[in-house]
Formats: sequence, structure tokens, C-alpha cells
Amino acid sequence: MAEVRLEKVVKRYGKLEIVHGIDLAVAHNEFVVLVGPSGCGKSTTLRMIAGLEEISGGTIRIGDRVVNELPPRSRNISMVFQSYALYPHMSVRENLGFGLKIAGQGEDEIKKRVDEAAEILGLGELLDRLPQHLSGGQRQRVAMGRAIVRHPDVFLFDEPLSNLDAKLRGQMRVEIKKLHQRVKTTVIYVTHDQVEAMTLADRIVIMRDGHVEQVGTPSEVFERPVNTFVAGFIGSPPMNLIEAVVTTGKARLADGIEVPLPPDARVSEGLPIVLGFRPESFAPRGHSLHADARALSLSRTVVIAEPLGTETILFTTLGGKDVQGKMLAPRPVSPGEQLEFTLDLDRLHVFDHASGVTLR
Amino acid sequence: MNFLRLPRATPYLLLLPAIVVILGVVLVPLVVSFWTSFTPYNLTKPATLFQFVGLRNYERLLGNADFWWAFGRTILFITIALNLEMVLGLGLALLINKVTWGQRTLRTIMMFPMMFSPILVGFQFKYLFNDAVGLVNNALFDLGIIQQPIPWLVDGSLAPLTIILAEVWMSTSVFAILLLAGLMALPKEPIEAAKVDGCNPWQVFRHITLPFLMPFVYIAMTIRSLDVARAYDMVRIMTNGGPAGRTELLWTLMTRTGYNNSQMGMANAMGYVSILTSILFTYYFYRKLVSARAFMGGAQ
Amino acid sequence: MSAGSIERPWQRWAIRIGVFIAMLILVLPGAWVVLTAFRPNIEVLARPAVWIPQNLTLHNFLGIFGRLDTQQGLPVANYFINSMVISVTSTVVAIAVGMMGGYAFARYRFRGKAALFLGFMLSRTVPGVALSLPLFILWSRLGLIDTSVGLIIVYMAVNIPFTIWLTDGFFRQIPVDLSEAAQIDGCTRWQAFWKVEFPLARSGLASAAIFAFLTSWNEYALASQLTRTTASKTMPVGLMDFTAQFTVDWTGMSAMAVLIIVPALVLTFIVQKHLIAGLTFGGVKG
Repeated sequence: MAEVRLEKVVKRYGKLEIVHGIDLAVAHNEFVVLVGPSGCGKSTTLRMIAGLEEISGGTIRIGDRVVNELPPRSRNISMVFQSYALYPHMSVRENLGFGLKIAGQGEDEIKKRVDEAAEILGLGELLDRLPQHLSGGQRQRVAMGRAIVRHPDVFLFDEPLSNLDAKLRGQMRVEIKKLHQRVKTTVIYVTHDQVEAMTLADRIVIMRDGHVEQVGTPSEVFERPVNTFVAGFIGSPPMNLIEAVVTTGKARLADGIEVPLPPDARVSEGLPIVLGFRPESFAPRGHSLHADARALSLSRTVVIAEPLGTETILFTTLGGKDVQGKMLAPRPVSPGEQLEFTLDLDRLHVFDHASGVTLR
Repeated sequence: MNFLRLPRATPYLLLLPAIVVILGVVLVPLVVSFWTSFTPYNLTKPATLFQFVGLRNYERLLGNADFWWAFGRTILFITIALNLEMVLGLGLALLINKVTWGQRTLRTIMMFPMMFSPILVGFQFKYLFNDAVGLVNNALFDLGIIQQPIPWLVDGSLAPLTIILAEVWMSTSVFAILLLAGLMALPKEPIEAAKVDGCNPWQVFRHITLPFLMPFVYIAMTIRSLDVARAYDMVRIMTNGGPAGRTELLWTLMTRTGYNNSQMGMANAMGYVSILTSILFTYYFYRKLVSARAFMGGAQ
Repeated sequence: MSAGSIERPWQRWAIRIGVFIAMLILVLPGAWVVLTAFRPNIEVLARPAVWIPQNLTLHNFLGIFGRLDTQQGLPVANYFINSMVISVTSTVVAIAVGMMGGYAFARYRFRGKAALFLGFMLSRTVPGVALSLPLFILWSRLGLIDTSVGLIIVYMAVNIPFTIWLTDGFFRQIPVDLSEAAQIDGCTRWQAFWKVEFPLARSGLASAAIFAFLTSWNEYALASQLTRTTASKTMPVGLMDFTAQFTVDWTGMSAMAVLIIVPALVLTFIVQKHLIAGLTFGGVKG
């Protein structure tokens, strides 16, 4: 059993505090993704769990041990680096077996476990090659193989896919997911790519500036973002966010349009708010995701249309801001065309303008 | 003792041996020589080591024509040698860069003089320019250019020339190799862009190639300024300051004063002048290097 | 300067001739000395000059090793052994000490780092001649004059700063990730260094070692003052002695010159690729 618990974990470099007291509990065999923009402290947090960075404050537990003072080798973890960090002077087989050799395992045991890992990851023919003779995707697989041969309590991934091209990234994402289903282990995975987070995670931890903004399952953080940061970070294209003022129970936009607020929105008259809606909630009539939802009709002029095949992204303006809508089952749209849009009122998000916190 | 076990003590522990050696072999001697430069210390009279005379050595130096001649000659020597080496090195690098075959072999040959001990270079040129058996005189003789042997190392105006020749032979390669490395790293796009913009070959060289090479020139200058004093070895074997002091450099004058005349106090005062000169040269080129790099920063 | 493509025949020939002359100037002086080392003295001194060697001999080498009755032998064998012992020992120690220092600079952040680095580099700017004066005074008092140990210590100090500068660069080129991955794979920091970082830096360290060896092997200014007898005199000092003792024995001196140049030549050719890399380091790294 290997849960990982972080309690009030702090990282300081001199006077500069990078991570401000993070609390997080990762359950046994859970796949947790830390996601956030660069500089949010996600990698630092991962490296503290790995033991590569000193912990300035708080405690980290793996299983029932406090690991604050333990060197990386004593934590029974393994890690896949962004650069893969394969040992250039060792063959694939030696790379995979290095950890076991250091641990003093016998030749036979090492061979058995290396072959087993190679089999899982399809590395059979590559075992005698040097890393420099491997392609990016192959290196990636060797790095994962090196992590699994040791049967660690916890897998750590530090942006493992960011050096791959888009197509390969998609493939490897699937492989990582398969791997987790096959080798049940606790995983903590760091990425800046919200798509990776959404597709891989059991739970997502969204971080910003050394704070945890929200923890939840992919559908929780997508459907109920706790603030404008999470709302804007998760989802692609991002959620439209428009300033508004509560006027007679409705949200009044800068251009005078009034949008009915959800009944459960905790707002008071005259409160400055931010109204949020995803592009898929804003579509030309007859092309929306939830045809049966309560909707507000708005006539808008299309500025740009980006056809993507199964859908078309439409750029227009609302409340004085540029907004994007998503047209499902699209027909050709030309710029300047006037369309009747429907705004899905059941899927509106309402945030406090001052704090950005959700008001639902 | 607990500090030694802390992780942050590690770099200091790693550096400790190096620091100890440098302290013992460079810093302490420098302090000693600084002290002796304020004494009339004479090797034959040990007690004089503790007799403080203030700036007397320095005052005498400043009033000594021999010292000023040696100092001026040294600066002139460094300036001429470094500039010649740079120009010839650049020429050689451009030439080799144009060659398409056997470039590796040529580069290897180019490194040839760099592995010569300066004392060996001195000997070699002393032999080549010997008036009786030297290759140069023999060749000039047999080609009918001269009737009488030219006394290269005995003539007061030819001797400095010969020494500069030896120095240039020894160190041009440093420039050539670094500049060749620079030429090979030269990005193609700016040159192609300049050609498209209508630059002629000279303009391309003047406005694109040369500015790009400047950091490499200054690296070479910095490296060279670190070991210009190696010229001491060469002069020592070729002329030892002669004839009639015409090739006397700061370094030869210093050792003569210190070891032959036993005036260690005075010699150390000269030593300090030479150390400061070296540091100044290095610092100057290093600053040039930094600013040249900053200048190229946007393009590189 | 037109880059490559369009070249007229005369230009190509001009370049070839230029290259040929340049190479001739670089090679000829050394080659002439080497040739002289294998020629009989009479031929070298002959007038008019004999350009094509009539016969080659090992006579000169036997002479400087005192194997001939006709000539007083110099203790060249002693000098050669002294040079080897001093250069190899000081190189090994300087590389070990310098590597530790270079690693500290490449991998750790610590107070006074920049100042220390500058200090090391400044120590390199002190000319050997100037340093020889106070070292002579100190070494006399410590009884280190005319001992191999005395010279070994000095050469260590001469080579450490440059070794630090080079190895710092080599270790910087090795990603920190590798050491970290090794630590996660179960290594101590020490094991991670020896099993991963050291093997990767090995070729760089080899070239740093060659640099250090060449510096010690070729050094004259310090050795000439800190050595006295055959107990510690090195080859360059011995060569200088030759001029004093036999002002006209060009063939004997040439033979000794060959003995100095050959080890340097062999080593340099072995690592010439790294030599250039080492030299250009300052340019490549910011």
C-alpha cells in the first residue's frame, strides 16, 4: 500500500518561497496529475516527493513513512524525466537493469525482470542498442521501462511527453494509460498540458503560483471550476469569460445584453461578476450540443470561422469581448455572416469579479 | 564539525584541496613577494628580509632607465606579436576554410607549433637563424641573395625581429584554430541574407563574418594573454636579453636582478609590475570578449 | 570570400599554393631540427651547406646518453626520467583535485562561487617567471629546492585552475537529470557520480590531462630556478644547459629536442579533437 500524503509542504530558495504549503493525499494505485502553467511549482513539488529537492517545510509521507529526510534511493519510487535521462553510455538492457544492479539483484533476476518490462513495452529488439540510436518514442518507452522494472511504490512522471511531436504524444498517452491499467501503481504525473491531465488522471490537481487551486476528477474540474483560473485553464478552446454586473437578477453585459442567471447563483444586486460559458454552450441554432437546454438567442456576426471537420470554431463578439463558439455538424460559414446563436443557460458559470471565485 | 556533514558543505569540501594548493603555491608566495618588494632583500644577506624600506624599490624602478626600456619593450613586444598573430591567424583560418580536401590533416599540421615547448621554439629559431650553420643564411647564401652571413641574433635591430618571428610562429596557430572553429560555426542564413540584399564579398566579410568572429578573436587574445610570459623562455635561450640589452624584456631583467644579482627585493617589485601587467591584459581582453558576446547575443 | 560555389581555376590554385606555403612554414623548422638530430655533425657544419642528407645516424642520441667515448655525456636519461615522473605525478594529482573543483562549480550553488572561480582564474594569470622569485625564497626555507616533490607541487598549482575551467565545462554538458535518475535508481550521490557522470566526462578529462601534462612537460621558467642538479632537473632545463656547455653542438641539442617533442607530439595527436573542443570551450559556453 502506498498512499502519498503531502501536509503543508513548503519550498523556499533563500527568501523566495516557491511552494506555499500544499496539502494533498494520493490514494493507493491512484493516477493523479499535477497541472498548471510553467512556474506554478508543480515540478518542484514532484521533485520534493522524489527527494531531489530539499523540503523546506511540512511533511511528505509515502505509505506510512515520513520521507522528508530520506535520499531518493530510499523512497522506493521511480521517475520518468522530461529528457528521459537515459544513460548514454549504457545499452537499453543496461539502462533497464541499472537500478536492479545497484540494488544488488542477481543476474538471473535482473534478466527476468528486464525481459518482462521489455515485453510489456515492446522493447524486445532494441535491448542491445544505445540510447542515441533510438527514436524519441523509443527512448520514452525505455524511460518508462526503467521505471517499472524496479516495482516501485510510486511512479513519478515529470512532463514525460513534452519532447514528442503531437502525433506521438497522443500514442504515448494511450500507452501510459494502458501501462497503468496493467501495472497497478500509484502515479503522480506532472504536465502543463490540460489535455493530458484530462485524459490520464483519476484526479487532477490544478496549481498556480505555488498554490493548489482545485483538486477533483476530470469531470469535476471541467464542469464545476472553482474559479476563473481553473475555468480558463481546463478545456480547449478555453471558456469564454465576460465581465458583467448583476442588474435586476440578470447579468448585464457591457453592450447592454442581459443574460438570465442560474437560480442557484449567490449574487446580490449591483455585484460585478464574471460570466463564463464554454464554446460548446454557444452555438448557432440547430448546431448546439444540448438542444433541449434553456437557451438565450443572440444574433451575432461571425468574424472568423475555423473549420475543423467535425466542428467549426466561430469567432464573434459579445459584451465587448471576443468570444468563441463551437458549431457541431457544421455547414460552411463565411466571415461577416450574421447567425442566430443560442447561449446554453443551464451551463453558465458565475464568478465573483474581485476574487474570481465561483458563485454557484 | 557538524557543518561538514551538511549538504551545503559539499561544494566547499570538494574545492578544499584546490584552494589549499592555490593558497600554498600562489597566494602565499605572492604575499611573500609583496612583502619582499618593500625590503632590500638580498639572497646573500638573509637578515635584510625583515628590513622595511617602504616604496624605495618602486621609486628606484621608476627612476631606472633600464627598467623603463624593458617595460616599454615588453608592451611593444606583446602588442606587435598579438596583432601579427591575429592577422596571420585570420588569414590562415580563411585560407583553410576555403580548402575542401584534407581539412582534418591541415588542422592537425596547424596544431604542430602548439605542442612545442617555448624553450624548444627558442632553440629551433636560434638554430635556424644561426649566422654560420643556420638554414636561413644557408638558403640565402646558396640562392645568391647574400654574400656575407647575416648576424640575425647578434645584430641589435635584427635580434628583436627574430624573436618576434619565433613568437609568431609559436602562437599564430592558437588564433588560426579558434578562428577556424568560429568560421565553421558561422551560420549560413545571415550571409545568404546579406548576399540577397546585394552585398559584395568584401561587404559580407566586413559586416557579417568579422563581427561574428570577434568573440573568437577575443577568446584567443584572452588565452594568449595568459601565457605571453612564456616568451621569457624563448628569449632566455635565444639571446638572454642581448645584444647589449636590445631584447631585454621585463621578465629577463627581473630574473637577472633576482638570481644573478641576488637583489630579490627589487626583482619582486618588478615581478609585481609584470603580474599587474598580465592581469590588466587579460582583464582588458576578457571585457572585450564579454561585450562582443553581448553584441552578438541577439544574432547567435 | 564568395562562399565556395563559383571558383575560377586560378583562384583554386592560389588557395592551394597559399596553403602549401603556410604548411611549409609551420612544419619546416621542426622538421629541420628533427632531421639534424639524425645527421652527423660534419654534414651539418659543412660549407657550402649540404641540403640533401647523405647519411643518417643514431650517433647523436648515443652521444647525449653518454654512450660514446668521444663525447662527455650529459645526464639526459636522468632528466628524461625526472620530467616523466614530475609531469605524470603532477598531472594525475591536478586532474583529481581539479575535477573535484570543476564538479563543485558545475553542480552546486554556494556562497562565494563567482568570487572563488574568479580567484582561480586570476591565479592562472600570474606569470611563472614572476612566481618563481618568491617560490625560490620559500622553497629554499622549506628544503623543497631541487626536489621532484617541490616541482610537482608547483605544477599542480599551475594546472589546477585550467583543469577546473575545463572540467566545469565538461560536467555542465552532462545533464543533471542523469545523476538524478541514477539517484532515483538507487545510487548514492557518490555512486551516481562514479557510475554515470564520470564515465561520460572521461574523454574530456583525458584531454584536460593532456593539457596538464604538456604544460608540465614543456615548462621552463619555474623549473630553471627550482631545480639544481640531476636529482630534479627536467628536459627543458637540460636543453638550456646544453647551450652553456656545448655552444656549437647543434646535432646533440637537436637529438635532445627530439626527445622533448616526441612524447608531446604523440599525446597531442591522440587527443587532437578534444584539444580543439577544449580550446573553444570559452566561446561556446555563455
